[in-house]
Amino acid sequence: MIEVRELTKRYGSARAVDGLSFEVKPGYVAGFLGPNGAGKSTTMRAILGLDRPTSGEALVNGRHYADITHPMRHVGALLDAGAVHGGRSAYNHLHVLARSNGIGRARVVQTLDQVGLAGVAHRRVATLSLGMRQRLGVAAALLGDPGVLLFDEPVNGLDPEGIRWIRHLMRDLAAEGRTVLVSSHLMSEMALTADRVIVIGRGRLILEASMQDLADRFKKDVLVRTTGRSRLADALREAGGRVHPEADALAVHGLTAYDIGEVAAHHHIPLHELTPRTASLEDAYLELTEDSVEYRTGAVAR
Amino acid sequence: MTDTLAAEFLKLRTVRSTLYLLLSLALTLAAGVLVSYLMTADYDAQPPEVQARFGSADPGMVVVTFGQFVLGVLGALAVTSEYGSGMIRTALVSVPRRKSLLLAKTVVVGGVSTLVGAVVTLLAYLAGEAITGDRPKPISAYDSFADAWPALLANTASLTLLGLLGLGLGFLLRSTAGTLVTLCGLLFVFPAITLLLPTPWDERVSAVTLPLLPAQLAGDVPDAPLTPWAAALVMVAYLVVALGGALVALVRRDA
Repeated sequence: MIEVRELTKRYGSARAVDGLSFEVKPGYVAGFLGPNGAGKSTTMRAILGLDRPTSGEALVNGRHYADITHPMRHVGALLDAGAVHGGRSAYNHLHVLARSNGIGRARVVQTLDQVGLAGVAHRRVATLSLGMRQRLGVAAALLGDPGVLLFDEPVNGLDPEGIRWIRHLMRDLAAEGRTVLVSSHLMSEMALTADRVIVIGRGRLILEASMQDLADRFKKDVLVRTTGRSRLADALREAGGRVHPEADALAVHGLTAYDIGEVAAHHHIPLHELTPRTASLEDAYLELTEDSVEYRTGAVAR
Repeated sequence: MTDTLAAEFLKLRTVRSTLYLLLSLALTLAAGVLVSYLMTADYDAQPPEVQARFGSADPGMVVVTFGQFVLGVLGALAVTSEYGSGMIRTALVSVPRRKSLLLAKTVVVGGVSTLVGAVVTLLAYLAGEAITGDRPKPISAYDSFADAWPALLANTASLTLLGLLGLGLGFLLRSTAGTLVTLCGLLFVFPAITLLLPTPWDERVSAVTLPLLPAQLAGDVPDAPLTPWAAALVMVAYLVVALGGALVALVRRDA
């Protein structure tokens, strides 16, 4: 269980996180989405007690992270796979972390095996590839067999096989009844992993919904071509639809193709095209975060 | 707390820099022994009136001067290597109680510095005695162990101090380069600058510099500006400033 309450973190005058509240419960994968600079990492750092919130709080299992004895047994975190002393071997790195939380060596060996690093356990971390370091970071998170897991951009640097592995891992962890929060800036990735999404932009909550709700919410758009555009638009609005003019057509939200056909027939307006469109989750996400993108190129190619 | 201590000790043992630093300390000892041997050989070739004006052929002089720096680096790297690599975040996620982390690092670095310091100081003493044999003072630094132990203790204390000073500066500055430059400044540059001050300030200020504290702590300096107690107080003051600053920096700042 992760609870973030009215969390605000300011760096100087910049608000990285601004009054953010959400909850993650056990048993599902929660995707934490937002453009670069939206405040995902800052929020995770606040949950782990690395950053002190300007106001508000973040609790894990009802407690502040720093108050938990042997926290790795309760919370596993992968923040930045590069945050490792390159001179230690993979085994020694995990052994140090295990020792600090009273976890035995057998578990270190077991975890290395689980993430597929048994063969390179005694190589220095600096000589490992980015993908291997990412796996080492996952191993560190799993070390204490924790009930709560936080992964910050876990697929970074992984090859396709590794990406599939981590997707399954996260789903399995959630299926075992653990609380799993995974950040990403890629909706396409979350679409395959997450059951619920928390979308933030400029440090504020934009949306918290199940993946299904999100899909439904952005699905209902019907493209209508007609010669009587303004009359039909009025009629559709009256019927409860939201109508946006598009080039030489209308995009209608909130009404099905069936409804639109009925309305048009009722008003004797000829229809030339009636096409239900489903927005991809990617589009939905871009639309949601459009106003909150911090770093944008001159022209965005869609 | 035992877990945190054990983990910190394991950290120190599992990086190669620790081994290299211990090796360089051994090299320092070897250099000290060589200097001592050459001085003694030179001493034997001189007439008695020159012999009376010789300094003592004590390998400890070289060992303490450079050993202070080496242990300062050891203490600094225990922290700055973690800030440099980002390991500090991983470390603070595994041990989120920052005071515990600082305490564990202080105990481990302090303990290792004391042990290593005591061993090299003792070895330097034994080597010096073996080289100078039954020659009298001043070429022989000490008449007997009873004469030597205050100096050996003081030297060990100063090596411990430097280990912890490096640690504290590491937490304050977070950068390896910055911390090593500061250590060099305190050990080598600042003492040289104090000599340029007008009398009597040159003597007063240089008395509180790190290289001159051990001898005053041992009471080995005739007409020393600081009594052994005052020297001890100054050393404690260095420690309090460095570790107190480290505590404030670690607890207040985001990692």
